[in-house]
Amino acid sequence: MVLNSAEAVLDGLAAVGYQADRRLATATFLALSLQRPLLLEGEPGVGKTELAKALSKLLGRPLIRLQCYDGLELRDALYEWNHAAQLLHMRAAQDRATVEQIEREVYQERFLIRRPLLQALEAPLPGAILLIDEVDRADEPFEAFLLEYLGEYQVTIPELGCQTAKAPPVTILTTNRTRDLHDAVKRRCLYHWLDFPERERELAILRAALPHAAEALTEQVARFVGRLRSEPFSQVLSRKPGVAESLEWAKALVAMDAVNIDPELVTATAGVLFKHREDMAAIEPLLGKLLLPEAA
Amino acid sequence: MGQGGGLLQENILGFGRLLRRSGLSVDTSRIALATQAAGLVGLSHRQDFKDALEAVLVSREQDRQLYSDCFELYFRTPEFAGRLKAAMPPPAAGQSVPPPMRRSSPPAMVQPPTPGVSLKTFSKIAAAMGWGSGERLRQADFSSLQNWELRQVERMARQIPMTVPQMPSRRTRGGGRSGRLDWRRCLREANRSDGEWIRLFYRRRRSKPLPLLLLVDVSGSMERYARVLLTFLHKATDKVPRQIYCFGSHLSDLNEAFAQSDTDEMLRQANQLIKDYAGGTRMAKSIASLRDEHRARLVGGRTLVLLVSDGLDMGYAEPIAKELDWLVRHSRRLIWLNPLLRYEHYEPLSTGGQLLSEKAHAALPIHNLLHLENLAKGLEEALQAGR
Repeated sequence: MVLNSAEAVLDGLAAVGYQADRRLATATFLALSLQRPLLLEGEPGVGKTELAKALSKLLGRPLIRLQCYDGLELRDALYEWNHAAQLLHMRAAQDRATVEQIEREVYQERFLIRRPLLQALEAPLPGAILLIDEVDRADEPFEAFLLEYLGEYQVTIPELGCQTAKAPPVTILTTNRTRDLHDAVKRRCLYHWLDFPERERELAILRAALPHAAEALTEQVARFVGRLRSEPFSQVLSRKPGVAESLEWAKALVAMDAVNIDPELVTATAGVLFKHREDMAAIEPLLGKLLLPEAA
Repeated sequence: MGQGGGLLQENILGFGRLLRRSGLSVDTSRIALATQAAGLVGLSHRQDFKDALEAVLVSREQDRQLYSDCFELYFRTPEFAGRLKAAMPPPAAGQSVPPPMRRSSPPAMVQPPTPGVSLKTFSKIAAAMGWGSGERLRQADFSSLQNWELRQVERMARQIPMTVPQMPSRRTRGGGRSGRLDWRRCLREANRSDGEWIRLFYRRRRSKPLPLLLLVDVSGSMERYARVLLTFLHKATDKVPRQIYCFGSHLSDLNEAFAQSDTDEMLRQANQLIKDYAGGTRMAKSIASLRDEHRARLVGGRTLVLLVSDGLDMGYAEPIAKELDWLVRHSRRLIWLNPLLRYEHYEPLSTGGQLLSEKAHAALPIHNLLHLENLAKGLEEALQAGR
């Protein structure tokens, strides 16, 4: 598939069910054309991870995902030797082979456990989509390694030599902004801040995901969630509901055959929309205002 | 791309340098990448072009607004771009460092600022371009300025020096033609002439600056003045012993903030420390807490107290009078710096104002930069005049 403009990317993503805005399509197009990693920053639930999945579908390339966490080490991210298998092999071969032979055999590719970053390098042409999720949760040594990795797309395994990517992967990094990334990493990437969608786009997302839902219901959902994210309601919430939450809520309402959203329904399904008990309690008195019909 | 490509590259280079001057970290490799990106996206859609440059040049969410304002200013207003290029010529061939920016006169489109551009960005850019400096701003009353001009004035206030009045100290130094003899030097010189005292040498007293006590009113009515005054005082009284407090509904100790060498950092810390900014005034209560907690910092009777306030106090006359009496008793001079003196026929009507004009040794105006420049002179005169 040839994506030679932002327009093409926008339409392509819509075709696989991801409603992007033009700005995101431009950033994605540039990331693909300039072969630079794309750093997506935004609140949880705005669709950062979904973009990688959608791109993978669109380009027909495998998605390789690395979920970062505090304490992530290279052996979990890059590669690890299968020590158990190596030991077994050594035990089995100790009678029939010399020490030098065993040592050579122990470090063969079949004993190498490839983790996501190495998998991305070894993916066959045309390459893979590498998603490095929540990179802000990893620590600084990992960031330093990532900087090197993203610059060269090659790693050196001491026992096996230098592994270079056959085709550089399309890399997408996501961060929830729990901490600031190092400037050097940001300079390596193109940057995009993903905001919550506006009403029309949210409606489009809901319609695309739930084509059989009633129009009136999806409009009410979009309106309600849009209001929740705006002032003054957002001030009482510890976390604004994301696109994922609004989708789940819409699905729940459809499953309950709801036609009209009223306070009882919201309270009954609050667990889908809000992830904190305090938020549920804080929103209850404001439900009347939130459910007001649109002013003519 | 040829001619058009060269022009695009030049424009993006100029834009990148504007961003850099406005505080974004944009290096040459990013600008080169931005040119590539612009080439890929094309110039047919303005928004696409803007988004493409943003993806390359911006790397933090908090910089997005600044970027957007700079973009609007640079690409929407052709005169701006032209003046910018004229003021920031690129380095000539063979020169590694670009020549210093030429100061330009404020262009006609400065007032009002371009719609869609935030004031914060505009004042940053105005400072970078050197607009707004000049006579008009020096003489303009702070309350009459627009926000971005006030920022300019703040920057200029940092550069105003002030010589604090000196007092003779007990230490001496060589020099002088009469008074105390400098025995050591006399003997040393006498050595040269075989013990004969040909010439006599004297010592004279050193001067040292008077210790300052600065009390700044940060209540609502003083909002515009307080910030500029703090900026001015931070740099102007740098080298002299000083104690600074600000008061509104209560007293706040700003000494730690003033210990910072960078004025922006000082303002940031002051903002955090002052909880009652733009609130009401309780001068009596504040001076009382000064007396209770910080009395030791008033250096005997030598302290020169500068009280910056408009006198619009909310309180009864008696406590204020009592506190002011105490302050006058324990200081050399109490100087009232009053922004309301901008009105030609000012007469204090409020309780605080009346008491201050009665008890303070002098009242000096501070409502524009010109008066701040003359403050040193005013202080000297106040010291000379007795009471």
